[in-house]
Amino acid sequence: MNDLKRLLEGEAVRPLIGGASLALDDGDYARFLGYCDDPFNYRIRVWSPDLKKDMTWLEHDREGLIELFKSLPEHLQRQGRLHRQVTVATVEASNVDGFLVVTSPFVVHHTNLEGQTHTLAVGRYIDIVNMTDEKIVLTARDVMLDTRDLGIGLHVPI
Amino acid sequence: MSARSKSSWETAPRLPAGHFVSGLVYTDPDVYQDEIDNIFSKTWRFACHESELLEPFDYRVIDHAGQSLICIRGDDGEVRAFLNVCSHRGGKLLTEPSGNARLITCFYHRWTYDSLGACTGIPRPSGYSKEVAKDTMGLRGLRTTVKHGLVFISLDEGAPDLDAFIGASLDQFSEMLGSTPLEVFHYNRAVLNCNWKAWHETNMDLYHEFMHVVLRQTQVSAMPMEDRRLITFQNGHGGSGGDLKAAYDGYEGFAGRGGDVPPLPGTDPTDFRFVDLFPSTAIIARGTVIRIDTATPLGPDKTLLEMRGLGVKGEPQEHRQARQRHHNQYWGPFGRNVPEDMIAAEACADSFRNQAGRYQIIARDENLTGQDDAILRAFYKEWGERTGRDPGNPIEPADPVSDQVRA
Repeated sequence: MNDLKRLLEGEAVRPLIGGASLALDDGDYARFLGYCDDPFNYRIRVWSPDLKKDMTWLEHDREGLIELFKSLPEHLQRQGRLHRQVTVATVEASNVDGFLVVTSPFVVHHTNLEGQTHTLAVGRYIDIVNMTDEKIVLTARDVMLDTRDLGIGLHVPI
Repeated sequence: MSARSKSSWETAPRLPAGHFVSGLVYTDPDVYQDEIDNIFSKTWRFACHESELLEPFDYRVIDHAGQSLICIRGDDGEVRAFLNVCSHRGGKLLTEPSGNARLITCFYHRWTYDSLGACTGIPRPSGYSKEVAKDTMGLRGLRTTVKHGLVFISLDEGAPDLDAFIGASLDQFSEMLGSTPLEVFHYNRAVLNCNWKAWHETNMDLYHEFMHVVLRQTQVSAMPMEDRRLITFQNGHGGSGGDLKAAYDGYEGFAGRGGDVPPLPGTDPTDFRFVDLFPSTAIIARGTVIRIDTATPLGPDKTLLEMRGLGVKGEPQEHRQARQRHHNQYWGPFGRNVPEDMIAAEACADSFRNQAGRYQIIARDENLTGQDDAILRAFYKEWGERTGRDPGNPIEPADPVSDQVRA
């Protein structure tokens, strides 16, 4: 029974993670936020072998993300397009009823304006997903980055 | 008004010497080698913060002037630096970027060294003549000085002391860096496709505030330009000569910045101060948080950039989180400003790479106020003295007479 439940949850989660990734690829941040709960917390974390510490490179609540997205057209940004290749690997029940912990390894490719593509980053999304009969949304996303040299960096969530 | 002709474009600007820079300083391989030999091998270089070497035998591995170095704290508390190279066969000794090593052991033939750089072990020493013995086979030691918690190294045994080299340029940071223990909470590296100077110029050039929407909205109008004070020092250093101001309410999302954590010693949350140390280290403080960045040349058009963020050691978690947030608002790979500076450095490199861009103008003269280019000019004056080249014309033009004689 539990296996079947987990299978069904996995099936339900996949379009959420995939849809959120496609929205980010498209730079359609309103659509991305549509996949996110209110409140929502987003964080990029990195382990530093130099400092032997965890670092936080970006952290925003929903309001902070909205403010960031609003400001983007004013910023000088990396040109081209990002492509996130995401695989939902595990879906587990959390300690809180109705919430799932979803782990998804990802690879982000960048295609520049000349059409050249290179790998920009790899890591894992650790998502807390709120799943009820009415909705299925991201409540929190921790991006655990393996890549620590991002070249010129990014203004947008990975 | 019209576009410029080829000859106009390629002719040096009609400006006083020192007020423009040839694009060849960014691209020419001989110029680059001169920089390695006469600047990076001769000056002092910021290596790390001493909080990265907290305990005895803690070490950091640093890239500098094409060489790998070790900074290590001895059990006497002193920080020392060595080339990261075994005396025996040249094996790279430490391969992790940081760690703790009571003994430094070469993986290849198991020669060992201590934190003083002394060779402590040679397996089966009887096979060597007396010239190859522990007491003659220590590591190559480097000059090392710690000032305000900043670890500096020099490859040059004859270089003037660090204090003579940096003069008073760190004075405005002495209270901030020296009166309370600090620690590095952020570190990232990025390899940029540009010359090291193109990066460092983004720190020395205040005029490019206009590129950043954050600075347009928080800094450009925060105080009258004529009230800003800049300063240059001997040996090519420069920085703010008094606190500049930022009005964080001007940028949505930054309002209230500083109310959530005490400012660093000797500052106000809205203060902004910086120093650019020759050749390639910048220290920037924004009231509540400090950034230190160092550019290490990897080639004429490749630069390793290292960035550190510093907060107060042992502070409550909510203070650390606030300081981290303040850091990340501007800096780090996802900051609002730093990626823009990187884009600018690479864009200029693109222009100069094939000599489409010929000259860079550094001629703003505002009597050391506002967005004066004086810090850039001080840098290039020192650069010229050390390389023996004119920044405006770093390659001697061909002599037509001798060319004809040779023909």
